[in-house]
Amino acid sequence: MNAKILTFSSHGDTTLLEYDPATADMEEINRVIAEYEAKTGAQPFDMATGERLEKVTREQNEVLMVHPIAGG
Amino acid sequence: MGLNQTLAVVYFRPASTGMVPAILSLIAFLTLVVWRFVFAGPHCRHLVRAIAARQKRHSNLLAEGLHILELGGAAAIADRPLENSADEQARLDRKDPAKRYLQRIAALTGATRMDDAYVLDVGKMQFHVRHRYVKRLRDTTDPDCAPEETCFYPVHKGMPKAEEIATALLLLTNNPGLFDKWAAQSGAFRADGQAFRPTQ
Repeated sequence: MNAKILTFSSHGDTTLLEYDPATADMEEINRVIAEYEAKTGAQPFDMATGERLEKVTREQNEVLMVHPIAGG
Repeated sequence: MGLNQTLAVVYFRPASTGMVPAILSLIAFLTLVVWRFVFAGPHCRHLVRAIAARQKRHSNLLAEGLHILELGGAAAIADRPLENSADEQARLDRKDPAKRYLQRIAALTGATRMDDAYVLDVGKMQFHVRHRYVKRLRDTTDPDCAPEETCFYPVHKGMPKAEEIATALLLLTNNPGLFDKWAAQSGAFRADGQAFRPTQ
């Protein structure tokens, strides 16, 4: 089963990245996540536990990039 | 009766040769009139009866169909006597991806729905999160603790309301201190509490 990096969007969700966790280069996956984080401020959360992730590993099958929120 | 009248016209004016076509036309017309009343009348009445019978049968079928539907509805209700409107709402929500995510994240964070808000307990704190608005009780064990309120909005535009609430639930669960940053209205903050400038 493929793993997904996704984010919320106007139509529910958008898949940013989909990969086979058994064979994927996790360094490359984390590099893509870091780039997305630098650009949007979104940070990865494990959708199985609801916890924020410092690094995505092969254990995660569904990772949600959570965007920043401002006070108003 | 009509036929007799036609014959009378023919015998009383035989010499008028110029009138022959008109007389023939009249005969034909009257014959048609006679045929119409003598033969077609019962046929029409038969047709009317047939249509009426068909309509009655159709009405009966409709009535039977409605009766079956009513019975079916009663059976469906009887099959699901414990299903209430909240279950029905949850079933409908599963069709909406944003609401589905909110339900998943509410379950992950332990938040429970209360009216239009989600109640989230983080340690002694309790948050009431609804769309773009959050209330905090700093210490639920302290009866004198007054609620504080602030607003929030996502930097990422176009997100459905349900996902905005889901985002706030995830962020507050992992970093309840974000409430103070939102209340200070000093810009946007990432999940780890670091300030974020969209131009970065």
